[in-house]
Amino acid sequence: MSTQTGAPGAAVEAEQRTPVLELVGARAGYGAIQVLHGVDLAVHPGSVVALLGPNGGGKSTTMKVCTGLLPLNGGELRLAGRRVNGLSAQEIAKLGVCAIPEGRGVFPNLTVRENLWIATGTGTDLKKLEEVAYGRFPILGERRNQLAGSMSGGEQQMLALSRALATDPAVLLLDELSMGLAPMIVSQMYETVAELVAGGLSVLVAEQFARVVLPIADTAALMLHGRIVDTGTPDEIEGRLSSEYLGG
Amino acid sequence: MTTFLTFTILGLVLGSVYAIAASGLVLTYNTSGIFNFAHGAQAMLGTFLYWQLSVGWGLPVWLSLLLVVGVFGPLMGLLLHKLIMGALRDTAEVAKIVVTVAVMLGMVYLSQWIWDPVEPRTLTMFFGSDASVEIAGVVVRLHEILCLAVALAIALGLRMLFHRTRVGVVMRGTVDSPDLLRLNGHDPARVAAISWALGSALAVLAGILITPVSGGSLEANALTLLVIDAFAAAMFGRLRNIPPAFVGAMVLGLLGAYVTAYFPSDWTWTGNFRVSLPMILLFIVIVVLPQDRLRGAATRTRERYRVPSVRAAATWGLVLLGIVFLYSLLLADSGITTLGLGMAFAIIALSLTLLTGYAGEMNLAPMSFAAIATVIVFHFGITGSGLDASLNLPGIALAVVATAVVGGLVALPALRLRGLYLALATLAFGALLSNMVLRDTVEHTLAGFTFTLFPDGTLIIPKPRFGPVDLGDPLTFLLVATALFALIALGLAVLRNSGYGRRLAAMKDSPAATAMLGQNLVKLKLSVFMLSAAIAGLGGILMSSAMGSVEGESFGLMASLALVMLVVVGGIGYISGALFGGVMSGIGFTLLVGTFNDLAISQPQAATFFELLGNVVMVGTALVGMGVGKNPSGSVQGIMDGYRSLREARPVLIGGAALVAVLYALALAGLYGSWTFTLLALVVVMALPAVGQKLMPHAVAPVEGHGHSDEIRDDEPFTDTLRDRLDLALGLPARVPGVRAAAPQKGEEVNAPA
Amino acid sequence: MPLLETQGVTVRFGGNTAVNQVSIGAEEGRITGLIGPNGAGKTTLFNTVTGLQKPTEGRVLIDGVDITGMSPAKRAKLGLARTFQQLELFLSLSVRDNVKVAGDILRATTRKRIDLDAETDRILELTGLTDIAGRDVSDIPTGRARVVEVARALMTSPRVLLLDEPASGQTEQETEAFAELLTGLAADGLAICLVEHDLPLVMKLCATIHVLDYGSIIASGSPREVQESPEVIAAYIGTEEVA
Repeated sequence: MSTQTGAPGAAVEAEQRTPVLELVGARAGYGAIQVLHGVDLAVHPGSVVALLGPNGGGKSTTMKVCTGLLPLNGGELRLAGRRVNGLSAQEIAKLGVCAIPEGRGVFPNLTVRENLWIATGTGTDLKKLEEVAYGRFPILGERRNQLAGSMSGGEQQMLALSRALATDPAVLLLDELSMGLAPMIVSQMYETVAELVAGGLSVLVAEQFARVVLPIADTAALMLHGRIVDTGTPDEIEGRLSSEYLGG
Repeated sequence: MTTFLTFTILGLVLGSVYAIAASGLVLTYNTSGIFNFAHGAQAMLGTFLYWQLSVGWGLPVWLSLLLVVGVFGPLMGLLLHKLIMGALRDTAEVAKIVVTVAVMLGMVYLSQWIWDPVEPRTLTMFFGSDASVEIAGVVVRLHEILCLAVALAIALGLRMLFHRTRVGVVMRGTVDSPDLLRLNGHDPARVAAISWALGSALAVLAGILITPVSGGSLEANALTLLVIDAFAAAMFGRLRNIPPAFVGAMVLGLLGAYVTAYFPSDWTWTGNFRVSLPMILLFIVIVVLPQDRLRGAATRTRERYRVPSVRAAATWGLVLLGIVFLYSLLLADSGITTLGLGMAFAIIALSLTLLTGYAGEMNLAPMSFAAIATVIVFHFGITGSGLDASLNLPGIALAVVATAVVGGLVALPALRLRGLYLALATLAFGALLSNMVLRDTVEHTLAGFTFTLFPDGTLIIPKPRFGPVDLGDPLTFLLVATALFALIALGLAVLRNSGYGRRLAAMKDSPAATAMLGQNLVKLKLSVFMLSAAIAGLGGILMSSAMGSVEGESFGLMASLALVMLVVVGGIGYISGALFGGVMSGIGFTLLVGTFNDLAISQPQAATFFELLGNVVMVGTALVGMGVGKNPSGSVQGIMDGYRSLREARPVLIGGAALVAVLYALALAGLYGSWTFTLLALVVVMALPAVGQKLMPHAVAPVEGHGHSDEIRDDEPFTDTLRDRLDLALGLPARVPGVRAAAPQKGEEVNAPA
Repeated sequence: MPLLETQGVTVRFGGNTAVNQVSIGAEEGRITGLIGPNGAGKTTLFNTVTGLQKPTEGRVLIDGVDITGMSPAKRAKLGLARTFQQLELFLSLSVRDNVKVAGDILRATTRKRIDLDAETDRILELTGLTDIAGRDVSDIPTGRARVVEVARALMTSPRVLLLDEPASGQTEQETEAFAELLTGLAADGLAICLVEHDLPLVMKLCATIHVLDYGSIIASGSPREVQESPEVIAAYIGTEEVA
């Protein structure tokens, strides 16, 4: 029995910096339903990777796998080159992966302040979280004792993003940030993301509305039927979008 | 005015204890998704321990309290979560319910083992029952003031916890989304463990406080059920919120007190009504509360049941009849009677196979339907008197039909309920029936009729006689009961293979899809509930006549829950599970414990050992029940599967059969008793599949391996990696040198041929 | 007149409007597409049509009969059938029995006398499931499980068939066969309403497509019209002028 370690092509990778987050041949699914059929994806330090494609293609499942909420049943999840398959979601969160899940990443029955309190779970103290959140989004400060669920979708998303702003993560995962939000709010949200990116944060963002995310992306990957079918610069990918999405 | 104040205070005191218990229940339900039926038993166990420390061993009260509420309670909760509840998150509702029921029964058995129930124990009030103050002309005992104060402190304390501490806020977050908690770096399992510790301590505290208020005597069953009254309070907050649960608890306490104070004392139902009040409220609250709207099958359950073919059911019925007859030859009359009783229980158990196994509906009170049929047959079905009395067929038929109708009436308001809510509604019905009917020993006059539902607390039920067939003879009774079991089982197999059976299965798997195909779910549920009640009623009549005389206790909640648990342990989806569960709960306990006691008397030097063994059997059964979460399909089927794989190993099967035959012949010749034979034969039957595996490994087909079918799925293209792995598995050299054809990764081992 | 029709259907959850004044129809012998980004309200609309969700406002009609207040079971009797986005198969039954049970229900609840086994076999043949008829439904790949749901719905002899993402989880070959099946069913006079993310498939099959966004219909028309509609492009890919 051979005990070879290391990935194939390790020498090739050594030329570049190690990706912050990387999926190698990732396979995953729910029960008998296999959704990801071998996904390769790498987020390099300081870069923004946009994961595009119509719904049902496996974007959300990919995101879940990266957070550790969904275990892989094949392939590898690596953080800074280290294999972390099997680590729990809370452990991965503590390693600096900040994920804002699909829908609203807030607790609707808790107040704004209590939401921030829970965000201290990865080690940042509450005082700093409140300072950053209320400083960047004054509306949150005004509503600190209001239930998060009673705020507008945009305000809830601000609250969710505050976690990314204040906890200093190694990599940020954004899943369908725009879902159910008016276009104006969406562009505001992405302005905030752009600020974070300017600060050097690495980001993996899954987004159905390609055009809002392409301007800030360094790389775009198109996902269909549980596979990445195309990777390239935003410009290369944009040209193909309409036909991939709407056919014809 | 004084009466009003006195009873208001009494009501508030009771209410405050209910509130403490209910808050613990809500806490654990919210953080772990498990409704803890053992909550009352935890209170009971803690209270007994408190008695042991403070009264038994004479430790100071404060120290005993500290040890029990501060150490034992939390520790018990932590252990329960760690060992049992933590693993239940993704299991089916039935398994979740049965596991906590098993914990409850196990704790009751354990307490009866440690603290001999024959010996009386009492717990007095804190500060003594004389320490009191007078408020507005009403004497209030210090203990009562303490109860109120503690409840208030707990209400404030919980509020602080949930709003002023991070762990409390995280607990509230669990309700919204455990996954989001994990993304924030918190461990929901740790949060659940903490709340189990806290909930358990609250249960123990409630038990210690309520015992002196409700009379002071310590009795395991009664105390367990007393705290179950808190279920009603918890339901006021839909099991989600603690403040409404507190309100519900106070309503419960006050109503109970006012019923005692103002209901006419000459009204013959008052006493029983007062005791039943919490369960009546529980039933009403569950039925009235807005329900989740119709959804698809949210739980993809792990258990899968093979459908019995009609021919196999018929064959097995005959085999069963043969085995029972042969076995009866070894038994004395008393043994035959006991086995007949077991068969009667197995028939009651079949009602659960139909209702829960086939239709996916819950009933936690099957014995209540047995009780209804028994009461009816007692009043309308007895021919002759004295030693010549017997049950007649029209009476039995009437009782069975009437039970079906009652079953339908009970189910009607509860039909839109599912899962836990339905289980709790049937539990409430069972408790209500126990209190209102089975304790109804006084005479009523209603519209000119004078009657007593359960005269003298004991009903004498004679054996049935149909023409020349007299079930008074134990062997006839046993064979008729076995034949009836086999016939009903055959009927169920026919039904399961019919369109009706498929519709039941469809409703169980996806109510939404079934409704969309045009099925009126209410009608279907009602029909299966009535059918199930009828079967339970028939079994109940047989059970009662096998026992000869029955008491209210014979049909109590504990008996119902033990039966449900044992049937699930045996396999709720299978006839064999009903046979196992019925026979075990009907005779298993009496036989095993009785046998051990008999042995203990005949061999005094080993008496303690046999007593111990008897207790170990009881607690052990409950332990098996706790393991249901890991093996939801049931244990009997596990053995059957073992035999399925032996099909090709004919010599092993023949050898095993021959061995059992020899054992039987020796027993028949009187070389050893029936008990020894039973043990030996069971060992052979259980061990045979393993022996077969050893002796004839090639003939024994492996039970279809589920793990691999996921690996190679026919909707996937045959990739190179897959081919490489196959090559590796077959011991072929990798086709492309250097390709990682080694070290299969975690979770996808390749099975090398054996 | 369309066989199935919604008139001003609105569904609100709290202050949130999931479906807003939707009036669409499905005609006999045609496949009508309903598309839109995730969370647009397609499944809520389906649930309203099938009776799993009460509309806050508006009516649902089949053949001119108002069915808004009817139970799902009654709607089924009027010829409405559907499949589910999250598979709702009867996991303890075989593929064949999943289809057959629909006939059992039909027999038990109506006076229709059908030869159950022959009809089941016919539907299995029609949907191409004969080869896996005996298998446990939990053991078959997702793509074919979707077809089992369609077969089950067909067993009730529906007049209107609502399909909620029937192609997701199907392989390309499976989707091709599936498209053929749907075309055939429509040719036989069935009114089909299709919610699907595989837009090329929708474009290929549907004569009329409605586009739902934020609960409202933002475009209706032929595939070409929908493809060229700037609103639709914006809804799917985002607006140009952003960021």
